[in-house]
Amino acid sequence: MAEITCGNRMTREINAEIRRAIAAGEREIVVNDPGARHNLGVAVLEPVRIRFAGSVGYYCAGLIDGPRIEIDESAGWGLAESMMSGEVVVHGSAGNGAAAAMRGGTVVIHGDAAARLGVSMKGGTVLVAGNCGYMAGFMGQKGRLVVCGDAGDAFADSLYETMCFVGGGIQGLGTDAVVEEPSQEDTAWLDATLAEYLPGTAQRGRDFKKVVAGRKLWNFDKREWKVWQEAL
Amino acid sequence: MCGIVGFFAKDSEQVEVGRTILGMLRALGCRGPDSAGVALFGTPDDGRFVVRVKLGDGGDLESRARQIAGRLEKLQGCSHFSTTASYARFLVSGETDLNGLTSAIESLDKDFEVVSIGHRLEIVKQTGSPDNLEKTYCVSHFKGTHGLGHTRLSTESRVDLSHSQPFWSHGFPDLAIVHNGHITNYHQLRRRYEQRGVRFYTENDSEVVAIYLAEQLSKGSTSLEDALERMLRDLDGSYSCLVATERQLGLVKDPFALKPLVMTETDAFVAVATEEIAIRAALPGSYSVREAQVKEVRVWQR
Repeated sequence: MAEITCGNRMTREINAEIRRAIAAGEREIVVNDPGARHNLGVAVLEPVRIRFAGSVGYYCAGLIDGPRIEIDESAGWGLAESMMSGEVVVHGSAGNGAAAAMRGGTVVIHGDAAARLGVSMKGGTVLVAGNCGYMAGFMGQKGRLVVCGDAGDAFADSLYETMCFVGGGIQGLGTDAVVEEPSQEDTAWLDATLAEYLPGTAQRGRDFKKVVAGRKLWNFDKREWKVWQEAL
Repeated sequence: MCGIVGFFAKDSEQVEVGRTILGMLRALGCRGPDSAGVALFGTPDDGRFVVRVKLGDGGDLESRARQIAGRLEKLQGCSHFSTTASYARFLVSGETDLNGLTSAIESLDKDFEVVSIGHRLEIVKQTGSPDNLEKTYCVSHFKGTHGLGHTRLSTESRVDLSHSQPFWSHGFPDLAIVHNGHITNYHQLRRRYEQRGVRFYTENDSEVVAIYLAEQLSKGSTSLEDALERMLRDLDGSYSCLVATERQLGLVKDPFALKPLVMTETDAFVAVATEEIAIRAALPGSYSVREAQVKEVRVWQR
């Protein structure tokens, strides 16, 4: 295991050291004292495990393909943005735009997520143990977004084919978002996902509401002008 | 961009609030290289007002301050004054009409500007970095209960001391704000206030936040929470704002969550900042930090 201490160094130097450790064959890396710096652990393409022992700033674990990145405390804006595969686990809360435009892999947030969680996601799974903020799931194209607590306002606005699941209440549905009964397949997937990532939870798949696109915004139809007027 | 910070000690009357705010601001220096400023709340004095006046650039500042002190003595008794760099600080006794006091000072010289008045509030701001602010005014030595800080990246108005933040709400003692964002209905609001005779000191849209909150709070029955909730309805645009009064620290985040703002609360303190890096840099220890949600309003009171 490689240990890296941030100290007073710039992000660039810390990321370079992470890369050197990976190139030297390390598969477990612990980064101490990250101090909420921005841009840590971006674009890591190897199946290594990196743990940030503290908080990270903006864009942590963005553009990654394969690693498991764990953050002991909270994360700033744009966590795991556009990630391709791998796992990102945050033990605290995440700022705005977590998992935005992700294409694959899994993002687990043990605390709350702020605004615009999983917007425009194109695959993968986002799992929030706490609550999520405003506009989560906006324009989601594929993948699954799971919120165990409450969802904020404008939830699942203008969706394509992302499936959203909410264990608590929904403050307000977004335009064209429709609540439907989860299928047996859905609840089985939820049970398996919760068992894997949140084994301590008492929630079961059947406790979740499912939110999908009503598909009214997919094709323009002037008979549905009212819907378009209200869409953002 | 811009960086804003706030710190609030929950029980102690004498914490190193200057050092903490400065530490937080230094970490956000790169978000706002144009200017830096703080609004700090000291230990209650004996009922006197602290009046801080910008004297202008160059010239004999000491004699200018003496000119103001003379005027204040005639008005109601000025027991003490001191000058540091561009500022003079006066202690003024008794209950007083703050607008009258302000215009008595400002009518003496067009360069004079009353930057803050309060029983505990002291605002210090200038162009340049937080490090320069410390070099000129030793803000880290200031002890008290709570405070705000701001680093500015100007987008639409001039870079000078007057356009820097925090803003004091002219005429309303001990009320200061810092703002990160843009108030998009600023011109409309400004026109409306000017028709009612409110004077704007700058062309900075953030000034309207201070004016708006002072107006709300002068209604007497309006709490700070209510004023901030109303602000969500009346002010458009992007904003993360912090506001401080003699005994309170409040925050509000705009209806689209366009600007960052994170916070932490422990048994001893509350800290709020644009980025977590500021809180971690200034406050060691174990605590969790989270981002404020859309339209979130919080007020802490001692």
